[in-house]
Amino acid sequence: MQPSLREDYLEAIQHFTMTNGHSPLPQDLAAVFGKPESEIRSELDDLRLSGDITIAADTAIILTKAGRSVGECVIKKHETLQFFLSEILGMDSSTASSEACTLEHSVSDETVDRLGNYLKKTRMSGDTIADRQKTAVCGYTGTICDESCTPSSLLDFNEGDELVVRCILGQSSAKRLLDLGVVPGEKVTIRRKQGKDALVLQVKGCDVALSPEIAATVSVERYS
Amino acid sequence: MKIALLGNPGAGKSLIFNQLTGLGIEVNRYPGSSVCLECGNVCYKKEKIEIVDLPGIYSLDGSSEEELLVRKFLEQGGADVIVAIFDATKLERSLYLFTQVAEFSPRIIAVLNMIDEAEQQGLIIDVDTLSTRLGVPVLLTAASEGRDIDRILPLALGSSRVVSLEVPYDHHIEAALKSLEKTLGTPRYKNLLALQGTGEDHMLLDSAGAVAHEIELRHRMSVRQIIATNRHNLSRNIAASAVRQGDRKKTYDLDSLLTRVFPGVPILCAILFFLLLSVFVIGSWMQEIIVQTFTTYIIVPFVALELPPLLERIGFSVLVALEAGLGIAFPFIFTFYVGLSLIEDTGYMTRAAFLADRAMHRLGLHGEAIIPMVIGFGCTVPAVMSLRILKTRREKTIAAFLISMVPCSARTVVIAGIVAAFVGIAWAFSIYLIVFVLIIFTAILLSRITPGEQFGMIVEMSVLRRPQARLVLAKSWLRIKEFLFIAMPLLIIVSILLGLFQFYGLTDLFEQLLAPITVTLLGLPEYASTALLFGIFRKELAFETLAVLAGTADLGSVMTAAQLYTFAIVSVLFVPCISTIAVLYRQLGARIAILISVYSVFLGLLIGAIINMLIS
Repeated sequence: MQPSLREDYLEAIQHFTMTNGHSPLPQDLAAVFGKPESEIRSELDDLRLSGDITIAADTAIILTKAGRSVGECVIKKHETLQFFLSEILGMDSSTASSEACTLEHSVSDETVDRLGNYLKKTRMSGDTIADRQKTAVCGYTGTICDESCTPSSLLDFNEGDELVVRCILGQSSAKRLLDLGVVPGEKVTIRRKQGKDALVLQVKGCDVALSPEIAATVSVERYS
Repeated sequence: MKIALLGNPGAGKSLIFNQLTGLGIEVNRYPGSSVCLECGNVCYKKEKIEIVDLPGIYSLDGSSEEELLVRKFLEQGGADVIVAIFDATKLERSLYLFTQVAEFSPRIIAVLNMIDEAEQQGLIIDVDTLSTRLGVPVLLTAASEGRDIDRILPLALGSSRVVSLEVPYDHHIEAALKSLEKTLGTPRYKNLLALQGTGEDHMLLDSAGAVAHEIELRHRMSVRQIIATNRHNLSRNIAASAVRQGDRKKTYDLDSLLTRVFPGVPILCAILFFLLLSVFVIGSWMQEIIVQTFTTYIIVPFVALELPPLLERIGFSVLVALEAGLGIAFPFIFTFYVGLSLIEDTGYMTRAAFLADRAMHRLGLHGEAIIPMVIGFGCTVPAVMSLRILKTRREKTIAAFLISMVPCSARTVVIAGIVAAFVGIAWAFSIYLIVFVLIIFTAILLSRITPGEQFGMIVEMSVLRRPQARLVLAKSWLRIKEFLFIAMPLLIIVSILLGLFQFYGLTDLFEQLLAPITVTLLGLPEYASTALLFGIFRKELAFETLAVLAGTADLGSVMTAAQLYTFAIVSVLFVPCISTIAVLYRQLGARIAILISVYSVFLGLLIGAIINMLIS
C-alpha cells in the first residue's frame, strides 16, 4: 500500500471518529472515499496487518495508538495547509482543501510546525464560539484584520478599480450577493460610484447596483 | 403535457412565453402567495400543451416568495419538461441557477436566448460542447427577432432529457450529504438545503446543522459560501469550455449618461415628468370620449326606461360604477401602464433605482422603492402590490404610507378638474408641491419611529434594449386586467350602497352630522361632505359628485377659489380609496391598513383646516 493512501485512510478514520463519536464501519469509509466496499475491505486488511488499525467484531474500525497518532498528524497538516492556502494566499477554499490533500503527504513535520507557529502569530487569538458566529459568513478569522489595519470594503475604492472579493461580512445581504456571483476570490470591477453612496459593481459580466450599506459588507482587495 | 419556463430575471422569459402562447394568457395566483404565475395553452400536433412562466429568480436556495414557489414547483414535479432559459451574454451566471435546478433532476432542455446580443458582443458559443457538458439538448434563440422560437416546443417534447449534471462539492460537503442521505434517507437536494439551514424537517435540520458547524470550523467559511463557490466554479468551468470571446463590436455605452448624477438625474426627472404629462393629456382626451359615449348610448336610454324608483336607483348605480371604472381605468391607468411598461422594458427602471438610492435613503428606504412609488402615480393598487420587491417589513410599511399619499391618476383628475380649471394652473402645481412636502415629512417621521432594520438595495442592472410593442401591450393588458379584477367588483358594490344611501335620504342626515367639520373646520358648503365620502369610493368621484350636488358644472360660480382649493387638497390627501384599503389589508394586514387610513384622514383635515385658517 502506498504511504499516501495509508495516511488518507488514517486521516479519514480519525476524522470520522472525532466527528461522529464512534468508529466508522467499512461502508462509512466507502461513502467518504467513493470506492466500492470490497476494495475498502481489502485495503483495510493491509492496514490491519501493518498494525495501524484493529477491526472489532461488528466490523467497526478502531485505530491503534500508532495509527491514531499518524491520523491526527495528517489532519493537523491538512488544516494548517488549507488555512494557509485559503486565508493567507487567498485561494478559493475547495481548491485549497484539495491542494492540502495532496501536500499533506509530502510536507515535513518541521514545515508544518513552523507554518503553524507563523499562523498563530498573525491570527487573532482564540477561536471561541462567539468569534465563530461573528465571522461565520466571512470565513475570515482576522488573519489580516486586526486592530492596526481594518479590511477595506468596496466603499474604499474608486470607479474603474479592479478588485478581488475577500469575504462578505453581512449576514442578511450575503445570500443574494453569493447568488449574483460575489463570492470570495471573484474578480469584480467598480463601474460607477456616486460619491460615498450607491455603486455599480460588475461581476461575471453583469452590472449590479448596491446600496452603500451593502457595499460596506463586501471586503475586497486590489487585483494584481 | 406541461412545460415550465425557468430562468433569471431579464433572460427574456416573458418574451418567449408571449411568443409561444400568443395573448391568451391566464394569470393564476399561486396558493398562499402573492406571486403570479402566468399560464397559457397551445396546441401542438393535436396535443394540448400547458405552458407556465415561472417567476424569474437567481437562486433556488433563498427564502423569497418567488424562490419558494419555484422550489415547491420543482419538488412536486410541477411540469413534465423544464425549459431553462439562459441569457447567452451571461452564460456563466445563468449556469449557477442551472446547477441548482439540476439537483432536482427534472427533464430539461436548455435555451440560450439573446444570441443576437451575444453575437454582437463577439461571443462564440459552442453548442455541442455545452450540450455535452450539461447533458441536455441546447437551443440558441433570439426572442427579440423571433429567431428559432418555434423550435422550442418540438425540442422540449421530443428530446428533453433528465439532467445529470452534478456539482463537485467540496469533499466535506459531499461526505456530509452522503451521511445524511444514509442516516435519514432524505434526498440529496433536501440535504443540501438543510446544510444551508433551509427546510422544514427538524430532525434533518438538527443533524445537518451539527455537521454544517463542523464543516464551517474546518473551512472557516459558511457552508452557504462553500456551496455557492463550488457551484460558481463549475459554472465558470462550463462557460469557459463552451464560450470564446471573438471580436467585439464597439457600441456606445449609454450608461455613461444614464447612471451619472449629471445628466442622469435630470434625465430621470424628465422621463417621469413626460410620463405623467402624457398620461394626463392622453387620459383626459380618452376619458371624455368614453364617458360621453357611455352616457349617450347607455345611461340616457336607461333613464328613459323609467323603471320603478328603487330598481332605477340600483341599476343607475351599477352603470355609474361601470362608467367610472372604464372611464378612469382605460384612459388614465392603461395609458400609464403602457408608458410604465415601455420604460420597464428598456431596462431603465434599474438605473432609476440606482440614481434614486441616495435620496431614498433619506426617506428610510432604498433605491428599489422608487419602482412602487412611480407605479403609484398611475394607480395605488398595483403600487401596493409591487411592494413585494422590498425585503423587510419596515421598508414595506414606510413605502405603503408614502405610496398611499402619492397623487394617483384619479387624484390628478380632481386636481385638474377643480383647481386647474377654476383656480389656476400654478395653484394646481402647488397642491403637488404640498403633497410632496408632506410625503417627505411623513417619510422622515416614519424612518425614525418604524421598528425593524433596513436592508439596502442589491439590484442587477438590466441591459438596455429596445422595447417590443407587442410585449409592452401584453404586459399593460395583463396589469389592467388585474386592476379591473380587484377594483371593479368593489366599485359596483360601493356604488350600489351609496345609491341606496341617497335613495333613503340618509345624505342629509350625514351632511348635518358632519357639518361642524365641513363648515366650521374647513369652511366648505355642507354638501361637500357627501362629495368627500364619494371620494373614498374612488377619488375623482369627489369632483363629479361635487358638481352634481352643487347643481352646476361651473363650480367657480357657487364656491370661492379658497373653498375649491381646500376641497381639492382635502380630497387628495383624505383616505386612500376603498380598493387601496383592500389591497393594503391583503398585503400588510389590518393594522397597517387602518393606520394608513386614520393617518390620511387626520392629515387631510389638518392641512384643510390650516389652509382655511390662512385664507380666511
